[in-house]
Amino acid sequence: MKRFLTLLKNEGKLSIRDMNMVIFALIMPLAVLIVLGILYGRRPAFEGAPYSFMAQSFGALCAISICAGGLMGLPLVVADYRERRILKRFRVTPASPALLLGVELTVYMLYCAASMLLLTAVAVPVWGVRPGGPLPAFLGAWALTMLSTLSIGLMVGALAKNSRQAGVIASVLYFPMLIFSGTTLPVEVMPAALQRIVALFPLTQGITLMKQTFLGLETQGALTPVAVMVLVTAVCTGLAVRFFRWE
Amino acid sequence: MENAIEVRGLTKRYDGRAVVNGLHLTVRRGTVFGLLGANGAGKSTSIECMLGTRKAESGTVRLLGQDPGRNRRALMERIGVQFQEGDYQQEIRVEELCEETACLYRNHADWRALLRRFGLGEKERSAVRSLSGGQRQRLFIVLALIPQPELVFLDELTTGLDARARREIWQLLASLRDQGLTILLTSHFMDEVEALCDEICILRRGNAVFTGTVEEAKAHCGCTDFEDAYLMLSEDEKGENA
Repeated sequence: MKRFLTLLKNEGKLSIRDMNMVIFALIMPLAVLIVLGILYGRRPAFEGAPYSFMAQSFGALCAISICAGGLMGLPLVVADYRERRILKRFRVTPASPALLLGVELTVYMLYCAASMLLLTAVAVPVWGVRPGGPLPAFLGAWALTMLSTLSIGLMVGALAKNSRQAGVIASVLYFPMLIFSGTTLPVEVMPAALQRIVALFPLTQGITLMKQTFLGLETQGALTPVAVMVLVTAVCTGLAVRFFRWE
Repeated sequence: MENAIEVRGLTKRYDGRAVVNGLHLTVRRGTVFGLLGANGAGKSTSIECMLGTRKAESGTVRLLGQDPGRNRRALMERIGVQFQEGDYQQEIRVEELCEETACLYRNHADWRALLRRFGLGEKERSAVRSLSGGQRQRLFIVLALIPQPELVFLDELTTGLDARARREIWQLLASLRDQGLTILLTSHFMDEVEALCDEICILRRGNAVFTGTVEEAKAHCGCTDFEDAYLMLSEDEKGENA
């Protein structure tokens, strides 16, 4: 445990020093929140809606940091450590791949949690955003979305040949998901055909579920997104640990 | 007591070409062993195969009596390694790198004391990338010693160090050897090899062409100067130092 915490402390410090994630996972979601807040204020999501536009957007805003950490930060840091032969150095120590991947995973989970708390700290007092459903349901949906997305990043990082390859794969995953999974553009405004394609992204499933649980809407058919996300998490994490490349 | 390193018939090929060809070597505990040869002779590859970070085509390796491919983590508690091209996280500081390395081992050394012994006591809070080449080299030797190893691999021991720093490192290593540490090193400096190594093995294109003591190498070649003997032995048939 001491190993884990020491590595976590150091890797966390290094990540903050690097600033990329501070910008993309903490500042960016907050900026989007503030812009939306200025535009929509406390207005309802639509005529006669029982919840505000801001409350409707809250789940998706929480997904920005998940997306940034899981599809950019995590795969790139693991691939970079491989390319710089830092993993090679770890390989001749008693450290296991699971320890290293677990530490990096935790760093990015902490970013996601910090981002959610930051969004809450602003959205609740300023625009009166309140969850309409039970909080544990929303937190469960959030945790599942985070774990499934981060596990994809873990797999890319663990298996990519070099950081260039990881960068390409990360971009291919990151930008479509950021744009089309409902993080920035609501899924509801997309044409039906596109909706069906983006439904395959685990992040889309996660955001829809977060939105429903946050607003306290009917979550019928929640089984499918939950099953998709659990499956993605299990498969990607398993592959990452099993086929981890040190060099 | 068993030997610290036993290598039997180690062969490693890249694209069909044998980079290490049937290497045999034995390193007794508490001795310093020099693995020598020109660039590309197979020194680093041999070390990586011994450590199990590269898979050899054939041959067996025993480190401290154990197979490095099995029960690896327990074995790695007892071994320190300094690779030729060690690297580190871009923004990391000296103390963070030491702490991060120390936390991986159950019985680690007091790394602050090690830093002081290697003349880096003032550099604890510095970024690793701001160190000079020689300071960084010393830091990587410190990292290899943090596990309080029984066996340490030092690839290109004192490259980038000035004459005084090299002498200091030799003294430190000799005193560690006298306390029972086994050292396998590679080096391009024959004065260093002569000062430190109890036994040497010279590689030429992946083949061991000489194994024995420095004195034996000189006698073998009829030279009074070890560097002359080394050059004679490591030179290949075409007369090039390949």
